Amino acid sequence: MMTDYDVIVVGAGPAGSIAAREAAKKGAKTLLIERKKEIGAPVRCGEGIGVEHIKGMDIELTKNDYASVINGARLVSPDLKNNITVRTEQSKGYVLDRKSFDKHLAMEAGRAGADVMVKTEVIDVIKDKDNKVKGVKVVSGILEASSDHTNNDVYDITCNVLIAADGAESRVARMAGVGINTIRPLSEYDSGYEYEMVNVDCDDLIELYFSNEYAPRGYLWIFPKGKDSANVGVGIGGDKSDNGIFAKKYLDEWIKGPMHERFKHAQPVAIKGGLIPVGSSLDRLVADGFMVIGTAAHQVDPIHGGGIGLAMKSGLMAGAVAGDAINNNDYSESFLKRFENMWNEKLGPKLKKRLLLRKAVEQLNDNDFNSIFNTLDDNDINLLLEGKYKGVALKVLKNRPQLLKSLKALIV
Amino acid sequence: MSVKIDKDKCIFCGACVGVCPVMALRLNNDRIEWDADKCIYCGNCEKICPANAIKVEKK
Repeated sequence: MMTDYDVIVVGAGPAGSIAAREAAKKGAKTLLIERKKEIGAPVRCGEGIGVEHIKGMDIELTKNDYASVINGARLVSPDLKNNITVRTEQSKGYVLDRKSFDKHLAMEAGRAGADVMVKTEVIDVIKDKDNKVKGVKVVSGILEASSDHTNNDVYDITCNVLIAADGAESRVARMAGVGINTIRPLSEYDSGYEYEMVNVDCDDLIELYFSNEYAPRGYLWIFPKGKDSANVGVGIGGDKSDNGIFAKKYLDEWIKGPMHERFKHAQPVAIKGGLIPVGSSLDRLVADGFMVIGTAAHQVDPIHGGGIGLAMKSGLMAGAVAGDAINNNDYSESFLKRFENMWNEKLGPKLKKRLLLRKAVEQLNDNDFNSIFNTLDDNDINLLLEGKYKGVALKVLKNRPQLLKSLKALIV
Repeated sequence: MSVKIDKDKCIFCGACVGVCPVMALRLNNDRIEWDADKCIYCGNCEKICPANAIKVEKK
């Protein structure tokens, strides 16, 4: 059957735009759909990304794409008395300007030959009589540009492979009704709130603050966007957030309380926020004619909650597999499973290991953290980031044997 | 029963949309739309909201 497109990608974030670019590069007739009228805005995240995530993506970062270059990270103890600074290749990165960066990636998809539709919302997934995904039903505000669909702002667009890249809301996979459930318990999400602020003195490090008092089961961050401006935010565990207990409150109290000196002249110039699925990637990423990628598939780093890098990796793999599927005329689940297998092979073990560390850290109280900050140095943090837990865990246990139960999983 | 979304507090981040198990919420630019027919009043949206902008009234 003739379809309007070979591949439709829903959501022009980092995952979707890279997927659309890769599918188009393989010769697939590709459409990238974005709900918002401007790609990249409004921003909903901390915008930090490691240098290694940009490598291998075939992207030339322009000066507009990032606000600052980061040379490491500073981790700060709950009592604010101790900090550990790491400056390694692995901790280098950027604080992006997502408005520019996301648009840049979508432009690359367009340059590779993909069609791009902004201000177009997917309201349903359409299926054929065999219950196979066949495209999307959209409401579009850019009708005049499309000669085929005049006088009707709701219409169907058909395809052979549909890629859901609609971020944490992740509605498209659920609309598809192909047995991929994107809903997890609240404990597998973080709830985030953030100000972009001016008059905040910063150096070339991202700063992470551990505190159960001000960020239960999460952390607070200062990501510099310049010498005197930064994204200042908090992520708290979804199961710690409740009616009257919420991320914004924690952030405000932290800024006005223990961090008052640092923020006494700070002024917010933007408010951002959102949902961060931190549990682990969905097990099932594909169905017949369907793929789910990036944050929509919960592909977020379990330790720091960063999603941009993994989203691009996911998009790179999924877009290429979708393109191959078109060229092989095979859109079955078993063909598209190449993407799922590739993801599990390349990232599965690493992410599983990082989840293990997260689960251990989640059990620590602020006294534990304060003690650990007295014990560990930058080399220990490097080891943890490299996934070498055992020696560091044993070092902690020497001073704090009562943590044996919490850290046991890191020793075996 | 109803779900009240405080437009003054809401930052339109869509966190509530992502944890709604029945897709009763939809982010539409600067508006969260709530579908009373789909809602099961589970309270996920109220709990996760980073801005305390949602109240689920069960009575």
